[in-house]
Amino acid sequence: MLKSKKIVVLGHFGVGKTSLIRRFVTNTFSDNYKVTIGVHITKKVIEISAEDKVSLILWDLEGTDDIVSIRNSYLLGTHGAIFVFDVSRPSTFQQLSSDLAILNEKLPKVPLMIVGNKADLVSEVEVKALFEKYALKVDFLTSAKTGKTVNELFLNLALLLTADA
Amino acid sequence: MDENEKIELLKDILFANEYEFEEKISKRVAFLEQTLKERGRLSEKVDPIIIHQIEEFKKSIPTTLGPTITKTLKIEISNHKDAVVDALYPILGKMVKKYVAQEMKLLSSQMNNQLGFLAFWKRKIRSTYSGKNEQALILDDLNETKIEQVLLIEKDSGILKASFTKSETIDEEMVSGMLTAIKSFVEDAFNKKDQDLELIEYELYQIHLQNFATHYMAVVVSGTFSLSSKNKLQDVIFDFYNSYMAMNLDLVFDTSKGSKSIIPVKRSQLEKELKKYFLNAKI
Ligand SMILES: Nc1nc2c(ncn2[C@@H]2O[C@H](COP(=O)(O)OP(=O)(O)OP(=O)(O)O)[C@@H](O)[C@H]2O)c(=O)[nH]1
Ligand SMILES: [Mg+2]
Repeated sequence: MLKSKKIVVLGHFGVGKTSLIRRFVTNTFSDNYKVTIGVHITKKVIEISAEDKVSLILWDLEGTDDIVSIRNSYLLGTHGAIFVFDVSRPSTFQQLSSDLAILNEKLPKVPLMIVGNKADLVSEVEVKALFEKYALKVDFLTSAKTGKTVNELFLNLALLLTADA
Repeated sequence: MDENEKIELLKDILFANEYEFEEKISKRVAFLEQTLKERGRLSEKVDPIIIHQIEEFKKSIPTTLGPTITKTLKIEISNHKDAVVDALYPILGKMVKKYVAQEMKLLSSQMNNQLGFLAFWKRKIRSTYSGKNEQALILDDLNETKIEQVLLIEKDSGILKASFTKSETIDEEMVSGMLTAIKSFVEDAFNKKDQDLELIEYELYQIHLQNFATHYMAVVVSGTFSLSSKNKLQDVIFDFYNSYMAMNLDLVFDTSKGSKSIIPVKRSQLEKELKKYFLNAKI
C-alpha cells in the first residue's frame, strides 16, 4: 500500500535544508546558495517493505532566525518534522533548546528529528567538544555535500511515521 | 569660205561644247526628273508590298528560323549547363517556391474544408436541437469549458487523497502540496479566517478551489470559466460531496437519517466516484 506523509524541514537561514532534500531526492549537491522563498515542495517515494511504500511530501520551508515567525498554516497536518542546524555556525544552534520548545508547541505530538548538518566542515573532535559545550542532543549528523547519513535520516523518519499508522 | 561660213565656224568653235554640255545637262535633268517621278510612283506601289512582306516574315520566323534558333540554343545550353542553371535558378527557385506554397495552401484549405464539412454538420445538428445559432456554437467550440483534472486534497497537510484526470501530465502529489501552500499563504496573508481562496489562474487554466470541513477540491478548468460554468461546476462538486464525500471523508453525518456508520474509504473507490461525477460533467 502507498501512504503519503507530509514532512516539514525547518531551521535557520542557510543551514542546508534545501541541500539535504536535494541530496535525498536527486542525490546531487551544489555549492551555489539559492535562498528558499516561501516553501518548496518535492516528493520521494520510498519502499519500507515488500508491499509498503511511503510517499514523502517534503515541505522545504524558507529559513528563519526566529522559529516563532514560521507560518503556522505551513505546519498544519504535518506528520513529521526535521529541524536542521549548521555545525559550523554556532548562531544556528545556540538557542536550540528554546527553538525546540517553540516547535513542540507548534507541532505537538509530531515526530521530530534534530539534525546537525555540514558535518564535513568540522572534525569529529570539534563536534564532540561543541556538543558538550552547548549540551546538544542530536539525532543525526549529516553532510549534504558528502551524503553522509542523509538517506538514513529520511528513512528513519519514514519508518517512525509508518510504524504507528 | 565666205563671211557667213566663217561666222558659223567661229560659232561652232566658240559654242559647240557649250551646246553639247547644255544638251547633256538638260538630258540628265530630264532623266532625274523622270527617275524621281517614277520612284514616287514605284514606292506607292512597292511600299505596301514591302510592309506586307515584313509582316509575313515576322509571322513566319518561328517556323522558318525557330527550329534553327532552338537547335542553337539547345546546343548552347548543353554546352554551358552550369551557366544556364546559374542564370535560371533565381527565377525557377522563386517559381518553385511559389508553386509549392500555393499547393500547400490549396491542400490545407481542402483539408480545412473537409474537416469543416464534418464540423459544419455537427454544428448544424446541434444547432437544430439546441436552438442556438451557429456562430454561437462556433464560439462555444473555441471556448468550451472543460474539466481537465480534479484533485481531492486533505486541507491541512495538502496530501492528495484522490484524483481524476483526463491526461496524466503533472505530479499530482506535488501540485496538491503546492496548491495547499499557496492557499495557506494567501489565506494567512489576508488574515481573515472565514475567507477562502477560491480561484487560481495559471496560464490557460483556472483552478477552482472548493473548501469542505477537512478536505478541499481543486478542479482544473480550461476554456472560458464564466459565472454560469462556476455554478454548474459547484453543483457537480456538491452532488459528489453530499452523496459520497461528506459521509466518508468529512465525518459530517446526515442526522435526519440517524446514520453514523463511517465507511472506510479506499483511494481506488474514491477515484471511481470522482470519475463517475466528473467525467461527463458539462459545465
Ligand atoms: N560544506 C557543506 N556545505 C553545505 C552543506 N549543506 C549545504 N551547504 C551549503 O550551504 C549553503 C546553503 O545551503 P541551502 O541548502 O540552500 O540552505 P537552506 O537551509 O535551504 O537555506 P534557506 O533556504 O535560505 O534557509 C549552500 O551554499 C550549500 O552549498 C554541507 O553539508 N556541507
Ligand atoms: Mg532552502
